[in-house]
Amino acid sequence: MKQTPDLGKVQENMKAGQITGPGFLGSDERNLIDIIREDEQKISELGLTNEIIADKLEMLMRQGEKGFGSPIVVDNRFVVIVDESRGYVPCPFRHGNLSKKVNVNVRSMALKKDIDYTPISIHLIREHGFYQGKGSLYRLDPEEVAKFLELI
Amino acid sequence: MQILITALVLGGISAVLAAIISVADAVLNNYGDVKLTVNGSKSYTVKGGSTLLTTLAGEKIFVPSACGGKGSCGLCKVKVLSDIGPILPTELPYLTTKEKSENVRLSCQVKVKGDISIEIPEGLFNIREYASTVSTIKDLTHDIKEVFFSFDDDINFRAGQYVQLIVPPYGEIKESTMRAYSMSSQPSIKNGVELLIRLVPNGIVTTYVHKYLKEKDEVRLLGPFGDFFLRNTDADIIFIAGGSGMAPIKSIILDMKEKGIKRNAYYFFGARSKKDLFYLDLMREIEKEVPNFHFIPALSSPLPEDNWQGEFGLITDVVDRYLTEQGEIEREGYLCGSPGMINACITVLGKHKIPENRIYFDKFG
Repeated sequence: MKQTPDLGKVQENMKAGQITGPGFLGSDERNLIDIIREDEQKISELGLTNEIIADKLEMLMRQGEKGFGSPIVVDNRFVVIVDESRGYVPCPFRHGNLSKKVNVNVRSMALKKDIDYTPISIHLIREHGFYQGKGSLYRLDPEEVAKFLELI
Repeated sequence: MQILITALVLGGISAVLAAIISVADAVLNNYGDVKLTVNGSKSYTVKGGSTLLTTLAGEKIFVPSACGGKGSCGLCKVKVLSDIGPILPTELPYLTTKEKSENVRLSCQVKVKGDISIEIPEGLFNIREYASTVSTIKDLTHDIKEVFFSFDDDINFRAGQYVQLIVPPYGEIKESTMRAYSMSSQPSIKNGVELLIRLVPNGIVTTYVHKYLKEKDEVRLLGPFGDFFLRNTDADIIFIAGGSGMAPIKSIILDMKEKGIKRNAYYFFGARSKKDLFYLDLMREIEKEVPNFHFIPALSSPLPEDNWQGEFGLITDVVDRYLTEQGEIEREGYLCGSPGMINACITVLGKHKIPENRIYFDKFG
């Protein structure tokens, strides 16, 4: 499938310094459509959906929010720290969605590994199937995040 | 040879098309001079084509904006009296039903394409731009800096208000960026303001302040803005803050000290561990000097090496315990911190019969 002019504009919005300092693309120079397609294929191969991943990420964030920045243990499997700042981040697809400025840090007690994400990460996965470009600070590789979240 | 000629011809056609597009853009998007009327009485002749926020700033009328026109804070609302077309999808999330019916618009999203008439609070004509020099930068914690910005002009503000800090382009950031910060200095200091700036991961302005800003640098500030200030009543005061939310509360407390205000005041300051605490000595000093002022720091996750003997737990739980012990008293709440903390505090204060209209907080986020 080809990149449409509309997606080209979205990709511009995703560049560093447009909406956020580091942007959403990292060092990935592929067209947005190709980034989305590759991750979509991987999610399909894993027998998952974007909703399943987004739901688990959101559940962990909601639990972590109860700590106001302090660690919260979830299901005896994860330690979540939600660090909230003022303001909102508009979705780069510019359809009116706003996500709070929050950093979610989740540590898997079993894997002894951390992931970081934000509410806009959850929105981009759920609504746009976009896991961010390779090298992006908040990229969640579909297979790695699925393993981390104990979904596969 | 034929390939070369084809490439040259295609290149030529592309160049001509680009030139036509460029000329068309200049002609079609040239709105010429337009008349901007503010509050029915003040008229300005301005160049059309820019956003209303930028156009107003060009006339030295500074509408509050915490995001600097990125459409992500919703602060820059103005009432538009002219027909400027439908509300844009980027404005919708910020507007209430009432605001939509009154044609309140986000000035950063609306473009000035023709004569336009708007209404803004008269107070905005007092907002000024200050060219400042950074006098001092101090580390208060691992992620909060105290920065003092000096300027030649006097600033008049109410303790608790905020300014907008404008940082220049740097690195990948191609445009000046503006963010709102509460002043932590008291209003009696006229030739500058102190801000407390916490490093937000990937934050454009906070990264600049923490990684690039140096003493003697020159930066611009706009202000003062905001309606977060101490109300003139006799009610007991409950201050609650966390992190850099200390800033406006510190300003208010120092102002109370200078003005000899002796109202009962309890300041609950929440932090994760001891490394996130600061100004302890200052607050203890104020406790000694200001009758009826009580400072209650609380740690939610103290480290073993902290040897913490003070209040422990989430700040909401600590506040709840104190207020339960005190019983029912007429109180006001003044909150500054993350939106999540503010929401949780409103619930706790409500449980103790402090109505929402007597709970004050700034509305940056």
